[in-house]
Amino acid sequence: MKTKARKDSIRYRRKIEEKYSWDRLSDSDDERRSHKKRSIIAIIFVIFVFVTYLVKLYEVQVSSYEYYSVKSDSNRIKIRPIQATRGIIYDRNGLIIAKNINTYDLIVKKERIKNKEIFYKNLNRLLPTTPADIKNIQNQFKNRRLKDITILEDITLEEYSKISVDQYILPEIELINKSRRKYVEPFATSHVVGYLGKVSDNDLESSVVEIHEGMTDIGKIGIERFYQNILSGKPGFEKLETDAQGEVIRVLEKREPLRGKDIYLTLDLELQKHIYSQVKGKEGAIVVMNPKNGDILAFVSFPGYNTNLFTKSISSKKYNELLQSPGRPLINRVIAGQYPPGSTIKPFVGLVALEQNIIDPEKLVYCNGAYTLGNHKRPFRCWKREGHGKVNLSFSLTQSCDVFFYKISELTGIDLMSEHLYKYGFGNKTYIDLYGEQAGLIPDRAWKSKTKQLPWYPGETLNVGIGQGYFLATPMQLTLSTAVLAGDGKTYLPHLLLGSKNKTSGEFSGYEHSENKFEAEIENYDYLDIVQHAMWRVVNEKGVGTASHLGKIGGVEIAGKTGTAQVYNLDKGRTGTKKLQDHALFISYAPFIDPEIVVTVVVENGGSGSGTAAPIAKSIIKHYFKNQKKQVSLK
Amino acid sequence: MKGYLDESNQRGFAGISSLLYVDTKLFVAIITITIIGLVTIYSSSGGELSLVIKQFTRILIGLVAMVFLAQVHPDNLRLFAPALYFLTILLLILVLLFGVGHTADRWLDLYFIRFQPSELMKIFIPLMLASYYSDKPLPPNIRYIFVAIILVLLPVFLIMKQPDLGTALLIGMSGAIAILLAGMSLKFFFATTFSMAALLPVLWMNMHQYQKQRVLTFFNPESDPLGSGYHLMQSKIALGSGGFFGKGLFNGTQSKLGFVPEHSTDFIFTAFGEEFGFLGVVILMSLYLFIALRGISISIKATDNFGRILTGTLSLTIFLYVLVNVGMVIGFLPVVGAPLPFMSYGGTSMVTLFATFGMIMSIKSHQRILRK
Repeated sequence: MKTKARKDSIRYRRKIEEKYSWDRLSDSDDERRSHKKRSIIAIIFVIFVFVTYLVKLYEVQVSSYEYYSVKSDSNRIKIRPIQATRGIIYDRNGLIIAKNINTYDLIVKKERIKNKEIFYKNLNRLLPTTPADIKNIQNQFKNRRLKDITILEDITLEEYSKISVDQYILPEIELINKSRRKYVEPFATSHVVGYLGKVSDNDLESSVVEIHEGMTDIGKIGIERFYQNILSGKPGFEKLETDAQGEVIRVLEKREPLRGKDIYLTLDLELQKHIYSQVKGKEGAIVVMNPKNGDILAFVSFPGYNTNLFTKSISSKKYNELLQSPGRPLINRVIAGQYPPGSTIKPFVGLVALEQNIIDPEKLVYCNGAYTLGNHKRPFRCWKREGHGKVNLSFSLTQSCDVFFYKISELTGIDLMSEHLYKYGFGNKTYIDLYGEQAGLIPDRAWKSKTKQLPWYPGETLNVGIGQGYFLATPMQLTLSTAVLAGDGKTYLPHLLLGSKNKTSGEFSGYEHSENKFEAEIENYDYLDIVQHAMWRVVNEKGVGTASHLGKIGGVEIAGKTGTAQVYNLDKGRTGTKKLQDHALFISYAPFIDPEIVVTVVVENGGSGSGTAAPIAKSIIKHYFKNQKKQVSLK
Repeated sequence: MKGYLDESNQRGFAGISSLLYVDTKLFVAIITITIIGLVTIYSSSGGELSLVIKQFTRILIGLVAMVFLAQVHPDNLRLFAPALYFLTILLLILVLLFGVGHTADRWLDLYFIRFQPSELMKIFIPLMLASYYSDKPLPPNIRYIFVAIILVLLPVFLIMKQPDLGTALLIGMSGAIAILLAGMSLKFFFATTFSMAALLPVLWMNMHQYQKQRVLTFFNPESDPLGSGYHLMQSKIALGSGGFFGKGLFNGTQSKLGFVPEHSTDFIFTAFGEEFGFLGVVILMSLYLFIALRGISISIKATDNFGRILTGTLSLTIFLYVLVNVGMVIGFLPVVGAPLPFMSYGGTSMVTLFATFGMIMSIKSHQRILRK
C-alpha cells in the first residue's frame, strides 16, 4: 500500500538519482533493439563481403582458369634438352679428324641465384675470381637463351674434388658432364674442318642450317658448318616435373636424341699433316686434288690456328688477338685468298691464243728483255733482262718468257682472253663444299668501266697476259684449272665429302662425283699436248725449265709451272722487307702420264715460285707417292 | 523448464550436446572445417602424417577447451575477464623481453609449452570489452569509449612491437567491432577512424623494412615477382589452376612442389583451393559464413549486454580473420601473417579458436536457464 509519504520519498529519490547519476539509466529494451539493428547491419556487411569474395574467387578460378593453368604447368614442367652426339669426322683412310670428348663444367642454375651480390661474394670465396670472370658471368646472366651460368669449363674430376671440399660456401653450384668437340690436328685442319660454337642470332637467321629446339652448339665454319645438318643429329628432350627449388621430382616424358651421321672426308690426314709441317712460319695455301674425281686430298691454309680454343667459349680478347695477329690466321686462304696468279696463268693464255688461232704452235717472238707497246714510255720488262732471243710457245712456257706472252696477249686482246679464260675455271667459284669462297677476277672492259669508270687500256691486257694487274685467282681455282689441263679438259669439281655414315644403321651414302663433272671444251688436243709438254719441260728439262731442279721425284715425272707474282699496293702502309717480296706460286700435276694428283702451292711474299713454292710441291708429291706405294704394298 | 526438456527429448544427439552445453550446428560446422584442414595439410605436405597427428592433437586439446568453456557460466567469464586480460598483457611484455621466433619474437617458451600470447589476446580483447560494458548503460558515453580504446591500444601496441603488424591490426579491429556493437555512435566511429588514418604516416615510419615491402608489394605485386610478390603470384596461380572442380586430392602441384610457400599455415586456403577448386572453395566459405551468422544469431538472442557484445564480437572477429586470410591469398589485402581459422597448422591459434566457440556456446546454452 502506497502512502503519500512513500510516493514523495520515491519522487525525491528519483530526483536525487537523476541529479547525481553519471548517466541516464540503462534501458534494456533499448539496448536490445540497438544491438539487433547493428547485428543486422553486420549480417548485411558479412554477406556482402562473402559475395564479393566469391565473385573474385570465381574470376580467378573459373574465368582465368586457362591462364593460370598454363602458368602452373610452366612452373612445374621443365623441358631439358638432351644433346645429340655429333657425328665424327674421319679422313679418307678412317683416321679421326674431329671427335667428341667428355669434359666437366662447373655451372650454376640462374633460377637458384636469388641475390647476385651474395652470389659473387661467395663465388669469390670459393674460387678467386678476376673482374674479367665476373664480367663474363654477368654477360651470361644477361643472355636470356642461357638457363645456366658456366663458371668453369673443361675441368677434370680431380680439379672438381678440390672445389667440392668448400662447396658448402656455394651449394648452388653443380658439375655437369658435357660432350665437347675435340680436333685431333687443330692447326693443320683448322680452315677445312672449322669449329663449333654456341648458337647465335646469326645462326637463327641463317637459311643454310637447321636449328632444332634445344640445340646449343652449331658448326660455325668449315666442314662443321657446311655439313652441320648431317653432323648434328637432332636433340632429344626430357619433360621433367620439378619443385620450386628446381629439383627434379620425376620424368614425365622422354625422347631420345638422334645421333648425327659420321662424315668421311676426301682428305688424307697424314698428307695434310706433312704439308702443314713444311710451311711453318709462312703464309699461304696449298691444295692437293685428284683430277680423276675431284677429291681434295689436302687443303691447307697457313698459318693455322687452334680450333680447340673455339669449342670452349672463346673470350673476345683472344678472338681479337687471333683476328689481328700478323699472319691473319683466320682467313681461309685456299678459297678466300685472291692472288694475282703470275706466270701460272701462262699455260692458259697460251692455250687460248692457240685455240683462237691467234698464233700457230711454232710462232716465234724475239725477246730482247723488254717489250714496247705503242707509245708507252715505259717498256714491259721480261724477268730476264738480257732477253731470251727467238722463242716459241713451248720454250716460252719452259723459261716463262714474259715478252712472248706480252706479244700474244696483245694479239689476242682482252676480250677474247677474258671470254675464254672462264672455261678453265677462272673468274667463277669452284663450288667446293665450303662457305665463304671467293670467285677471283678476270678483268675485262665491262668490269673496268663499271668499277673504275675508266676505259680499258691496251697495256693492261699485257699485264693480264702474265697473270698480273687486276687478274685474281684463288688457290682453289688454280687447282681446278690445273686439273683441267691434267685431265685433258675433263675433270671434276673439287669436293671434300667422301660420304656419310649412319652409325646406328651402318648405312653409308657416298658422294656422287660423276654428277659433278667439270669439262672445258678442247678444240684441238694437239694444242693441249703442246702446253702439257711445255709444263713437263718446266720440271724436267735440266737447266732450261724454271723448276728443273725438281726433276723426277721417286721415279715419277711431274709437270708444272712456276709463278712469281709481283706485290704492289696489297701491303700498302706495311713495312718490312718480307712483306715487299713477291708471292711464290707453283701449279703441278703428277704423274705426267695419267695424273693422280694436282698440287697447287701459294706462298705469300715467299720470293720466287721456283725457289720457294716448287720445292714444297716436290716434298708433297714425294710424300704422296711414297705413302701410296706403302699402302699398295700393304694390300 | 518444460520446453527445454521437451526439446532435448526430441533430438537424441542434441540431448547429449545440450547437456554438455554444446551447440550442435556450430560444432558440426567447426568439425567439418577442421577435417578439411587436416586433409589439406596431409595432402599439401606430401603425405606427412606427423604434421596431421600434431594438428589432430591440438584439435583435441581445443575441443576439450571448448567443452570446458561451454560449461563455465557467463557470469564467471565476465568476472575473470579483467584478470585474464591483464595476465596476457603481462605475457606480452614478457614476450618483448624473452620471446623467441624466426623473423619476429612472437613465441613465449615456457619450457613445457611454446605459445603466442598475441593469439590469446584475440579472445581476451572481446571478453574484456564485453565485461567492461556489461555493467555500463549503453550506448556508451565518450568516457567509456575512451577507456575501451585504451584497453584495445595497449595490447595492439605491444604486439606491433614484436613486430606482428597483422595480429595487431586484427586485434585492433576486433576491439573496434566490440565498441561498435556496444552502440558507439557511427558518426563518432568514423571521426575516430579518420583521425587514426591521419596517424598512418607515423605508423609507416615505425614499420620494419619487410613490413613496408609487403605493403608496397600489395599495391604492385608484379614489381618484384621473385621477391615479396612471388607469394601472391604463386598463390593466384595455384588457385586459378585449380579451376572449377580442382586438381583433386594429392594433385595440387603448386603447393606440393613448394611453389606456394607456407601451404600448411597462412596459405592453406590456396592449397585447398588448388585441389578442390571453386566448388570446394564455395563450400568452405559457406561453412565460415554459416558459423558467423549462427554466432550473430546467438548474439541477438542473448539476454544481456555481456552476452550480446561477447558473442557478436567473437563471431564477427572470426569471420574477419577468414576475410583477412582469404583476402591475402587472392590479392585483396597485403600479405600479413594471418592464419585461416580452424584450417591453418598452428597450436595456439587452434586452441584459442575452440575456446572462442566454447564461450559463444556458453552464452547460448546458459541463456535459456537465465530466461526461465
